[in-house]
Amino acid sequence: MITYPRWLDRDTGKEPVLRLLGIGNAGVNIADRIAVRASLPLETVALNSDQQSLNASVASQKTALGPMTTHGLGASGDPEMGLEAARESMSEMRQSVQGADVVFLCAGLGGGTGSTATPQLAELARANGSLVIAVVTSPFQFEGRRRSQQAKDAMASIARHADAVVHFENDRMAEIVAPRTEAEETFAACDDILFRSVASLTRLISCPGPMAVAVPDLLGVLRGEGGAFLFGSGEADGGNRAHEALEQALRSPLLERGKLLHEARKVLVHLSGPRSLAFAEVAAIMQEISRSTSPTALLHLGVSVARDESAPLIVTLIGHCGTASHGEKAASIPAAEPVRSSPPTLVAEESVPPTPSASTVSEQAPSKVIPLKVKQENLPLDPIDRGRFEKVEPTIVEGEDLDVPTFLRRKLKR
Amino acid sequence: MAREKIHVGMEIGTTKVCAVVAECRRDGEMRILGVGESPSRGVRKGEIVDFKNATQCVHDALADAEDRSDYEIKSVWLAISGSHIKSLNNRSSITLPEETTITAKEIESVEFKAKEAGIPKEDVIIHSVIQRYYVDGQEGVIDPQNMMGSKLEADFHIIHGVTNRIQNAIRCVREFDIDVEDIVVNSVASAQVVLGEQQKQAGAVLIDIGGGVTDYIVYRSGAVCHSGVIAIGGDHITNDLCIGLRIPITRAEKLKIEEGSAITSNIPAGDKITLKNDTGFSGKDIDRQMLNMIIQARLEELFTIIHKRIQEVVPERLLGAGILLTGGCSLLRGIREVAESVFPGTPVYLAHAQSVSGPMSAFENPQLSTCIGAAKYAQAVHAEMPEESILDRLKGFLSGRI
Ligand SMILES: Nc1nc2c(ncn2[C@@H]2O[C@H](COP(=O)(O)OP(=O)(O)OP(=O)(O)O)[C@@H](O)[C@H]2O)c(=O)[nH]1
Ligand SMILES: Nc1ncnc2c1ncn2[C@@H]1O[C@H](COP(=O)(O)OP(=O)(O)OP(=O)(O)O)[C@@H](O)[C@H]1O
Ligand SMILES: [Mg+2]
Ligand SMILES: [Mg+2]
Repeated sequence: MITYPRWLDRDTGKEPVLRLLGIGNAGVNIADRIAVRASLPLETVALNSDQQSLNASVASQKTALGPMTTHGLGASGDPEMGLEAARESMSEMRQSVQGADVVFLCAGLGGGTGSTATPQLAELARANGSLVIAVVTSPFQFEGRRRSQQAKDAMASIARHADAVVHFENDRMAEIVAPRTEAEETFAACDDILFRSVASLTRLISCPGPMAVAVPDLLGVLRGEGGAFLFGSGEADGGNRAHEALEQALRSPLLERGKLLHEARKVLVHLSGPRSLAFAEVAAIMQEISRSTSPTALLHLGVSVARDESAPLIVTLIGHCGTASHGEKAASIPAAEPVRSSPPTLVAEESVPPTPSASTVSEQAPSKVIPLKVKQENLPLDPIDRGRFEKVEPTIVEGEDLDVPTFLRRKLKR
Repeated sequence: MAREKIHVGMEIGTTKVCAVVAECRRDGEMRILGVGESPSRGVRKGEIVDFKNATQCVHDALADAEDRSDYEIKSVWLAISGSHIKSLNNRSSITLPEETTITAKEIESVEFKAKEAGIPKEDVIIHSVIQRYYVDGQEGVIDPQNMMGSKLEADFHIIHGVTNRIQNAIRCVREFDIDVEDIVVNSVASAQVVLGEQQKQAGAVLIDIGGGVTDYIVYRSGAVCHSGVIAIGGDHITNDLCIGLRIPITRAEKLKIEEGSAITSNIPAGDKITLKNDTGFSGKDIDRQMLNMIIQARLEELFTIIHKRIQEVVPERLLGAGILLTGGCSLLRGIREVAESVFPGTPVYLAHAQSVSGPMSAFENPQLSTCIGAAKYAQAVHAEMPEESILDRLKGFLSGRI
């Protein structure tokens, strides 16, 4: 029997719980960036074997991995040690994915901790029936062949368990971000791209809208192997917001000046804005995008409305450009477990193969997929240890939670 | 002894609740007879979160004020704050039938029209402050009364807030059968006593940084052109220190007041403060550089937000009287320097209530600016308003009509 994950069940009317797990030092960095942006309906969890990184984190939950194994000093790039640490903390890891409808796993692959704990967490989260999206980076070439191999192994095993893997190459990001000389700035720029992509995906999944994005459509564009992942986002307000936001999105580094957009086979366009967002603006944006994409490309459109009247218009472009054969292969790679074929997220009971009953067939048909309908009001949102401000309305100015100490937020912005 | 009219100003602040009993003379002079205070409980970010505790504090402050002034308080003027308080500038215009002599009636109707500004339906207008009139398009009319014209226009600064949240504070006082004569937002109250007419004319920004909120108001050519509330205050600095230095909140507060400064330059590397623990033995070492950096970052951010908002309404060169800082947080060492770095070229001063007499300890204390200002505001309103209209307004408030 096919069961839907709880969050797809329209009858319960419950809002889905979206949780972001940052694993290893790189992952915790991303989680922190998310945590200070209170406008995102995401719970954040930092998991690391490095106590110092956990101490400095502002994530709402923190989980030490393998404190006995690593003595809180990290796995020093050693996957054996990483695995041992994960094994030690299996029950904590299980707990960290409990009760989440959508789990984002963020890690920089290549080290000892993120590379080994992420696949395990993906598996644990899938076993709970959560939708699992991994957002990972592969190491810079200069980090050496060993790290690169460790990252490849990790990628393969994450892909086996996650519903989708959004993969960024540090090399490519650094290359495009502009050949700035300062290493720290380059890292920060990469982190920012990762942050934006997670933020976009979150909005896409959680915002209510006249045109919600169906999960399989989203997964369809996220999955793909070989070709480059394509991501761009821009935001603007004011009279010319449609034009400005799109301009900015098209200029995003990961689109390589719009070149990749031409090659993309599937592109998801997501618009999020205030209620005043006009149909004409949507139409103008879509028209402009179709001018930049190949005529055969399949465009998906999603539109959601923010409750805040002063919310900016945010344009997000997500896609994958691979060759046709790459595309086919893409579907087959995560399908190492056979049940996970098309629309895989809708399958919770992995071990039971689908019975070809009439109802199953129709439920499985992508056309019958239920769009995500979520209210943006009262999101379960309490990102950080708010100390004295626990029970009061957060002070939010321009999307930033000012109750979080300024010095911590600055550290993240660098 | 026959006393002149007495007004009581009250603030239910995040840190302390206070009431000022002031004798107001007809010539505009004001003398403080007594100040009652109680530490706050159940107040966060300038608003009541725990009614029972807050009510008790209001009681204690009122009782203390009665003792010290030897006056039985029957009503107060209540200062209001909180992040829900917003402002906007609105121009309204009315067309007069033919050439008419403008009277109070026309002026009232142009104000009425300005109040139709689109504010959220759960909100109520607290102040509509006249900025300037125009008669037949002619600018710079200070008092249009008795002028002839066919079109009267007026710019108003409108301050509004969420009705329910305002009523919470009013109810707290009324628990003791004490009337709230009227309400006034913190920034407008403080401006009554901190800023003089000359400063308002020259252009000035008044920033009142308290425990939970920062209230600010901007004057340009004598008129209010902007005001606002940011729910950031001294509590945030204390909380930042608590998180950043890993010390309990009470210690963080003490450390902030005794050792804290917002100046990060010229600190010898490795300069440490040794905290005494409860048994008197030396405990944790605090890095002074870190302590000051945390404070500086918070204040700089706060001023930057205000700077950005003000820039949109007044060019810096029109702030001739500069920036005046008041409220408890203005006592923080180095705060003036931080403000100067954010508002380059604009002079920054620490300020407290002026032109009031009474115990110096009262009006020289920047924590009392709002409360003294509320009493002064009462005096100003009484001087120009007929008695009933105030009462009517209040009745409206309590019944939720307004
Ligand atoms: N974008 C980005 N990538 C990072 C950052 N830090 C590390 N990386 C990348 O992520 C890979 C893994 O590094 P870490 O996250 O430090 O490793 P870890 O998972 O904590 O594992 P151990 O330190 O071995 O316990 C590195 O090889 C880098 O390529 C960062 O701040 N930003
Ligand atoms: N000497 C001092 N140095 C630094 N900070 C101080 C000093 N004295 C008081 N403060 C701080 O000032 C704040 C209280 O200011 P104030 O009394 O103006 O606030 P309040 O009116 O109670 O609160 P609010 O107006 O925000 O609701 C507290 O955060 C306190 O720590
Ligand atoms: Mg590490
Ligand atoms: Mg105050």
